[in-house]
Amino acid sequence: MSHNQQPARRGGLDRRRFLTTAALGGATIVGASALGGLDADAAFAEPMPSLDPAISQSAFAEGRITAIKGSVLEVAGSYGDHHLIQMTNATSVWKLRPTTAAEIGVGDGLYARGVDMPDGTIAADAVWVNIVNLYCTVRGIAKDRLHLAHGDHNHAVVGRIVPETTTASYLGGALTPDLSRLRIGQSAQVLGAWRPEDDTVDIARVTVGH
Amino acid sequence: MIPLLSNLAPPVLAALLALTGAGKLFGRGTALLAAGTVLVRVLGDARRAGLVLRAVGGAELAVAAALLAGPAAGLPALVPGAATAGLGAAFTAYLGYARATAPESSCGCSARAEGPIGPRTFARAGAVLLGGVAAAGADASWWSQAASRPVGSALVVAAAAALLFVVSADLDRSWLLPLRRLRIRLFGHPLATGAAGRVPVEASVQLLESSLAWQAASPIVRSSLLDHWDDEGWRVLRFSGVYEEAVRGARPVSVLFALDLAASIDTAPSPAVRVSVIDDDTEEVVPLDLLAAAGRRSALPLAN
Repeated sequence: MSHNQQPARRGGLDRRRFLTTAALGGATIVGASALGGLDADAAFAEPMPSLDPAISQSAFAEGRITAIKGSVLEVAGSYGDHHLIQMTNATSVWKLRPTTAAEIGVGDGLYARGVDMPDGTIAADAVWVNIVNLYCTVRGIAKDRLHLAHGDHNHAVVGRIVPETTTASYLGGALTPDLSRLRIGQSAQVLGAWRPEDDTVDIARVTVGH
Repeated sequence: MIPLLSNLAPPVLAALLALTGAGKLFGRGTALLAAGTVLVRVLGDARRAGLVLRAVGGAELAVAAALLAGPAAGLPALVPGAATAGLGAAFTAYLGYARATAPESSCGCSARAEGPIGPRTFARAGAVLLGGVAAAGADASWWSQAASRPVGSALVVAAAAALLFVVSADLDRSWLLPLRRLRIRLFGHPLATGAAGRVPVEASVQLLESSLAWQAASPIVRSSLLDHWDDEGWRVLRFSGVYEEAVRGARPVSVLFALDLAASIDTAPSPAVRVSVIDDDTEEVVPLDLLAAAGRRSALPLAN
């Protein structure tokens, strides 16, 4: 069930065992909150001022990766700007699912949130690779894909269904692996990872009835 | 068969050209549509592109009228046929040029937004070209053909209309979607219901983000989800963060949340989440009252 996502410093299972014990030993906090999250959706949010008083402002970068040198990603922004993104042990990487920096390739699109460093790089707290957020209409349903129409020009987009990964939310409910309630003609919000090689989208989450 | 096709090509082509031509000539969105085509770059001006698109619409209407009324006016079949074929050839050449130089541009073919140029737009332009060639070879007017062989004529017209429907992306809504819906109704939904009861990690993250624990820990958490695993009914979610300590300054930490593996926002409106913060360097638990740090306020009583 569980799969290793981050090279552990002490060796996978021991380290997880240790962290599980620590996690279960923590204080229990019960209750709901209305505060927003920092998950994949947040990549599209305005960079929020950090709540940490030591850091006044989060840095934010987006663009295509032009080169990878060690742990630094060179990114050409969409508006002619350039960024150097420094990956660290603590940087989270999302590419359809939480993964590692090894999955990032040249040519991938990227959103990154982090902290401006004195040397001009951005030390990334979180990066989202090839993330796309589409408001579209379901035009067709097949075993392994959804046919979607997106935008004013009804651009046809193929959304691939990834086993064990694609989830759906209906009417504001919890995310579920049950995709059988999708209907042709529905308006849907699709969050996924664009595949540069064939210009399709691997679907992480499809939200309908929102 | 060939004379049948030749003689019946004019009304079918006329219907297609009248529809697309009228849409271009009289459509309110023509100027907007023209702005999305490659014409803007060729002519250097969106207004001129709009005028050209309207002029093309007018030409299509004129050719449609000639195709329909040509035999009655004594026009040889060659004239409207050749004009149609000329239009088809021009469309194909235009599409080829647009496809080669600006593949993302709109085609502007039917005065409706139908997205980038694809195989269907080429198929339609090709159909106009071939239909024009066929119409040029007509040896009788279409109404006398229809009167002499009504059944065969009806079949040919129906087949031609079906072909044009298939190559028109903007008509999908009227036939393709109902057909796909019918297929799902008849043969069942192609997508699985998924393993019943399995809560995906994303659902656990969704629950976490709606929890008070997440709100309390948010001043420390900096990354998105870094790692997750399941252990004896618990799902552990690991984030990285920074904790400001009075003596040693900013410390890199792991923020660990443990939730019930089977809980989601549907089943747990008020989730119980275990939180702990581990110093990444010393691997020690950071003793921390998150609720006090976040400045907990008691909720107002709910109205009944």
